[in-house]
Amino acid sequence: MAGLELKSLYKSYGEVEVIKGVDLSVDHGEFVVFVGPSGCGKSTLLRMIAGLEEITGGELWIGDTLCNAVEPRDRGIAMVFQSYALYPHMTVYENMGFGLKLAKTPKDVRDAKIREAARILQMENLLERKPGQLSGGQRQRVAIGRAIVRKPEVFLFDEPLSNLDAALRVDMRMELSKLHDELGSTMIYVTHDQVEAMTLADKIVVLNGGVVQQVGSPIELYQRPANLFVAGFIGSPKMNFAPVNVDRVEGTSVTISGKDIAAMTLEIPLNAVQAGDVLTIGVRPHDLVPSPSGAIVGRIGLIERLGNETNVNIELPSGASWLAVLDGDQALQRGASLIMNLDRAKIAVFDAGGQAVTAEKPLA
Amino acid sequence: MSFIRKYWLSAVAILVSVVVFLVPFAFIVLTAFKDPKQASLLDFSWPQGNYLWGNIVEVVTTRNWMLVTAFVNSSILTVASVALLVIFGAMVGFVLQRRKTRLNGLIEFLILAGLMIPPAVVPTIWLLQGIQLFGRLHGLILIEVAYGLPFTILLYRAFISTIPRELDEAAIIDGARPFDVFFKVILPLLWPVTVTNIVVQSVAIFNDFTNPLYYLPGNANATVQLTLYNFQSQFNTSYNLLFTNIVLITIPPLIVFLFFNRQIVAGMTAGAVKG
Repeated sequence: MAGLELKSLYKSYGEVEVIKGVDLSVDHGEFVVFVGPSGCGKSTLLRMIAGLEEITGGELWIGDTLCNAVEPRDRGIAMVFQSYALYPHMTVYENMGFGLKLAKTPKDVRDAKIREAARILQMENLLERKPGQLSGGQRQRVAIGRAIVRKPEVFLFDEPLSNLDAALRVDMRMELSKLHDELGSTMIYVTHDQVEAMTLADKIVVLNGGVVQQVGSPIELYQRPANLFVAGFIGSPKMNFAPVNVDRVEGTSVTISGKDIAAMTLEIPLNAVQAGDVLTIGVRPHDLVPSPSGAIVGRIGLIERLGNETNVNIELPSGASWLAVLDGDQALQRGASLIMNLDRAKIAVFDAGGQAVTAEKPLA
Repeated sequence: MSFIRKYWLSAVAILVSVVVFLVPFAFIVLTAFKDPKQASLLDFSWPQGNYLWGNIVEVVTTRNWMLVTAFVNSSILTVASVALLVIFGAMVGFVLQRRKTRLNGLIEFLILAGLMIPPAVVPTIWLLQGIQLFGRLHGLILIEVAYGLPFTILLYRAFISTIPRELDEAAIIDGARPFDVFFKVILPLLWPVTVTNIVVQSVAIFNDFTNPLYYLPGNANATVQLTLYNFQSQFNTSYNLLFTNIVLITIPPLIVFLFFNRQIVAGMTAGAVKG
């Protein structure tokens, strides 16, 4: 039984700081996904947990052990690499048994564990093959099998599905989810694919520039992003943003307007904003609905008709471009003007610093 | 017509290589069959009678079976030197490729220096005498290892750069200690370039004439190439025996080449282009 505790972890290469103080606690059995754009430090953070990168500052606790200076083999972890990293000169059986062999596990125990893992992953028929004779999906399976055999406290996945084709990726995603249920171990998973993050995670950690932006369940992140970065990163297609001014504040009802948005009243926590503040509002493409009396008027740009939904690019008066996803197939004319209404309850509001405006964090 | 136009250059190339490589070899073999009188003419002629067996017996038994001693010495020298070269070359190549430190530049300079700067014989002898290794076989083994190491390291390092680092890391996570990573994961994957190294270095060391001449004096210490001196002197050279000797000592490297020919090319080009 092992959770994971990261206490203000730092990593720097010489002058360059890559991880700038990450605090995170992971409970036993949780499936945690690190997401972020490339270069945000998510892989580095994972490798620090694995012990492949030295920790410059802070503490890493796995279970009840301070693991900063513990060798990777003693951390109770197993890792699955993006490139699978199977040993090409060994058969699948030897690949999976390599760690146990190094640990001098008796041969019969080793054999039982390998066959058990092969059974879980349904690849008993592949055991005598070499990695070169396997397809991408099968290799990935072997890599996961190699991790399972070690019976680790924590599984680490470094973008394990990004070398697979789209269809296989969906299958493996479901299998990973099943595997997590079956094994009940803690899993940490790095990806830049937010669909993977949303579908697999109990808890998502959004990273940008070596800093944790937000930690929460997938739906929490989707519905209540903590800042502009998370709002723009989570959700596909991207959230639309527009700058607005605060015209009038009466208790909790605040009237806003902007170049692209007709004056409207929103419910914002008491004392969170003042008249004259500049805010940014965010609206999900799915929350825009065509309506004759809407707050937003724009010209229709590119139209993508997908059958079940229609993606419409709308050029707003300020020159900004928004995307609306409309239900069903809509016959629209390019260049025509479109009036849209937005669901007020679902509008996200951010202050000038990009932080979500909430009751806990009122503007000074 | 088009056939000739297409292949005339290849035909010329084959012809030239036959003249350059096979004619001298034919000359050696022909002369080994001759008696002393005909051999001393040094011409490209058919032997008058077969004296090969007699020549072989004389070559082998000369100076109290010196050629046999020489074969034993050369075999020990070659096997020991090549084994050390492979192990050390692969290790140095591995560490040099994987671990980037401030010393890397200096080490790479020293390796290149080892390739480019000709060895200084007299100081080396002085050094060997100082550590009691002069005129001993293991001293010469160390010399051969030192001279062969730069080339071996370069070959290994180029090849190791094509082995993804994730393999090392996977092994480390699996619980491998540094020596496990090297001997159980990396070294087996280096097989193609190891074969190249074995062939290139064993042929070079087996055929080495000058280093045994400088560093391993004395009849008991002779290596095969030095036995050639048995049949040459200032006023009189037994060409039939000399060429028989050449035939005999050419056979082992020739066999090595014939067996490993394919792998040599594979190892030489592997690592040249990242695949």
